[in-house]
Amino acid sequence: MNMALTNLQKIQEAVERRPGEIDALKKNGQKVLGWIGYTLPEEIIHAAGIIPVRLGRGGDDRLVEIGSRYISTQNCVFIRATAGLFAENSDPYVQKSDGVAFDTTCMQVYRLGEVTKYYFRKKTFFLGVPRCFQTPQARQYFLMELEEFTLRLEEFSGKKIESHALAASIGLYNEIREAIKALYMHAAHDNPPVITWHEIYGVVHAGYYLDRQEYLALLKDLLHEIEELRDAGVVGKASKRVRILLSGSVIAPGDTKLIDIITGLNGNIIADDLWSGLDPYIGIDIREPTLKGIADAYMDRLLPPAIPHLDQSTDNRLHNLKDAVKESSADGVIYHSLRYCDSVTFKGLEMKEFLSHEKIPFLEIHTEYAKSDIEAIRTRSEAFIEMVKFRKQAGGRI
Amino acid sequence: MKDAVSPFRYPEDVKPLFLETEDLVFEDGTCITTEQMWDFMTKEGPARYPYAFNTQASFGGQLSGDVTFLSGIKQNYLSMTHMDRIRDMHEKGKPIVIVRGWITSEPYYAAGCISVGPPFPRGWMLQQIQGQDFRQASLRGMALLEEARQNLTIESCNLIAYLALLKRNQLPVSAIAPCICTGCSDMAYGTVACRSGPIKVPAFFLDYPVNYNHGEGRVEYLETGIRELTEKLGAVSGKTVTDEMLTAEIKRENQARRIVRECQKMWWEAKVPPTNSIDNSYVHLGSMGAFDYTVAIQLLKEYYREIGERIHNGVLGHGLSSDPARLFICGSCVHPNGAFIDKKGGVIVGKDDQWSTMTMDVKESGNPYENLARAVASHPYERPTEERAEWTAEQVKDSRADGVIFMYNWGCNYQSAVAGMITDIIKERTGLPAICIELGELTRMESLEQSQNRVEAFIEMLR
Repeated sequence: MNMALTNLQKIQEAVERRPGEIDALKKNGQKVLGWIGYTLPEEIIHAAGIIPVRLGRGGDDRLVEIGSRYISTQNCVFIRATAGLFAENSDPYVQKSDGVAFDTTCMQVYRLGEVTKYYFRKKTFFLGVPRCFQTPQARQYFLMELEEFTLRLEEFSGKKIESHALAASIGLYNEIREAIKALYMHAAHDNPPVITWHEIYGVVHAGYYLDRQEYLALLKDLLHEIEELRDAGVVGKASKRVRILLSGSVIAPGDTKLIDIITGLNGNIIADDLWSGLDPYIGIDIREPTLKGIADAYMDRLLPPAIPHLDQSTDNRLHNLKDAVKESSADGVIYHSLRYCDSVTFKGLEMKEFLSHEKIPFLEIHTEYAKSDIEAIRTRSEAFIEMVKFRKQAGGRI
Repeated sequence: MKDAVSPFRYPEDVKPLFLETEDLVFEDGTCITTEQMWDFMTKEGPARYPYAFNTQASFGGQLSGDVTFLSGIKQNYLSMTHMDRIRDMHEKGKPIVIVRGWITSEPYYAAGCISVGPPFPRGWMLQQIQGQDFRQASLRGMALLEEARQNLTIESCNLIAYLALLKRNQLPVSAIAPCICTGCSDMAYGTVACRSGPIKVPAFFLDYPVNYNHGEGRVEYLETGIRELTEKLGAVSGKTVTDEMLTAEIKRENQARRIVRECQKMWWEAKVPPTNSIDNSYVHLGSMGAFDYTVAIQLLKEYYREIGERIHNGVLGHGLSSDPARLFICGSCVHPNGAFIDKKGGVIVGKDDQWSTMTMDVKESGNPYENLARAVASHPYERPTEERAEWTAEQVKDSRADGVIFMYNWGCNYQSAVAGMITDIIKERTGLPAICIELGELTRMESLEQSQNRVEAFIEMLR
């Protein structure tokens, strides 16, 4: 992290303190709910007085191997690594989770939930998610699922969710979403930025674990500090490095392979279209502080990659990516597809064609957590960055 | 180079027996006489599809060889001529709709459509060139698979990959309309991939709610989904589907499922297996209806009579060893090579996915959409995995299986994910050996050694 930003250091320290804090809260009877998914409104968990923790780690091939003993080698490496995380049970947040919630947006996540329940005897919660977000019956079904999920959370916490608590949690999460978006704006628009995308990515991941009130306060302080530094002109020289937008499969905490390669090649990641990055924070507009309001907002949001949306012209995911490239002045897109992440891998060709129409350079990197493909990825990334650099120097005429 | 192994042929001395059986009558009233069927299976078929008469052990699609099992010959006739019939029906205005799996066929047939599986593009393109021997057909199939993967991804299962042939080949497909469920990971994303490309085929889904927390809510959701699916299929075929039409289709398919259940019960209880593994695949007739449920029901009735006679007379299925290892197959839409299993001393007694559909008995009075939704919502195969495994363990016991093979396709995320869990539960509940086998060669004719070695070793262990 950029130690010039004192609030980054504070966030780092808060993350280090967090396991101990959770232990103390648990001693006072508070429950911890780990969760993995794409369409799981954390607001409800928070409103139930439960500590939410977003679980899952990437980048560790050893965990992939352990997880493969319980789930299949045909599952995506993130799923396998997370199964390994449960099997090993050494991750502090897995250990501290009194239960784990899974949604069915990505059905591999659903299968992970089933395996977790059976082999690791975790208390599990499942939230059904429709596969066609736009239909009225899908909204109705999702609302029913949320109501059931809420009832189960209330049983779990022993506390009924009051409407004012739900409204307060929604307000809190709205503010967090706005703060994250503001951070990303700095990385995408400022050149040079006071805070880099890489640092923001770390801040987003810190939010998986921290107390959400404290997290919001830290985000606000960080944004304030960035504004101050920018206003004071405490920034370096403008960078001419190739500006990359990262898209595709999740790049979970711990998975630094591709990011390290790109930055090592002097590539400048300035934005992302990742569910482990900005995506969960955009496009959510909760118009009423009720479960219905949450259900509608989550059905209207940016489509998660695992949703099989059949109409390209209304796929807000594609259009969001195109807009993000333009808004961030990205020079190219690197599309990260994890092995057996079908929801992303199957769309690789379409994505390439779609961006090609927009004259946006595109490179797909298909990879897993093993280190054996590092040099192959480096060669391909280097060639791409060189190609984009020449194109940029030629004013986009190549 | 021509195939070195002598091809299979039906002996002429069976012909008189076969001619005594009933002609096949199709939904549109077309009658195919036993004489016509015999001629096809002995003259036209071998000339058009030489590879289908190959008897190499590695060939997974060969004929059963049980020349005295006359219903089996008819089923072979139906499967060898199905592309001809689909072409004829299509030319007469019936839309071809690609689906996946066996969740429900009623909306498709009630709307006057023909539902076919994802490999249909391959089958259609493969049969355009006739007279191919085993090697030629195999190479052509491989080339189609390669073309499909180039247009999709190398990580697609071999079966679903063929959907991508639709992107660049003009094929007689009016829509892709699968049920999205846990049965298949790749169908949803394969269908999405078809939304772009030079050729676009209309697509819509039936969304199967996988979470079982909300019983009645799921039924309501499915009911609306089935209603919308039926309306969209009706729009494709130009038909307005009334409640009466859907109820009539439910009754027809209920009848097919009932006969399959009766056949299977009888088969499982028989002292010795009355048919070999290939001829035991009549369950297909109940789930896919041979693209014509009228003829499928007629043939199932003949199956029932003939299996009953065989059991009464203590007949052992052709090519089976005297006490074969009975294998129950679980997993994704794939099964091991029946001819190979029989040859190695085993026999297939059942398959969980199709059998799950066969357990469906849809209520025949009242709101047909609700009735169908209620039945579909209770599919054992789609239940939470622990419940599904408990159900499967009961079927394994009922079928008197000696062992269980959970087989899944390479690239199948959802079934492979729970293969270990299901086999562990079955082992615990039944005390029987169970093995997981990943199959990489699906729809290829060659390169089957890896999976066959594993199947053979498992059979040897059971024996």
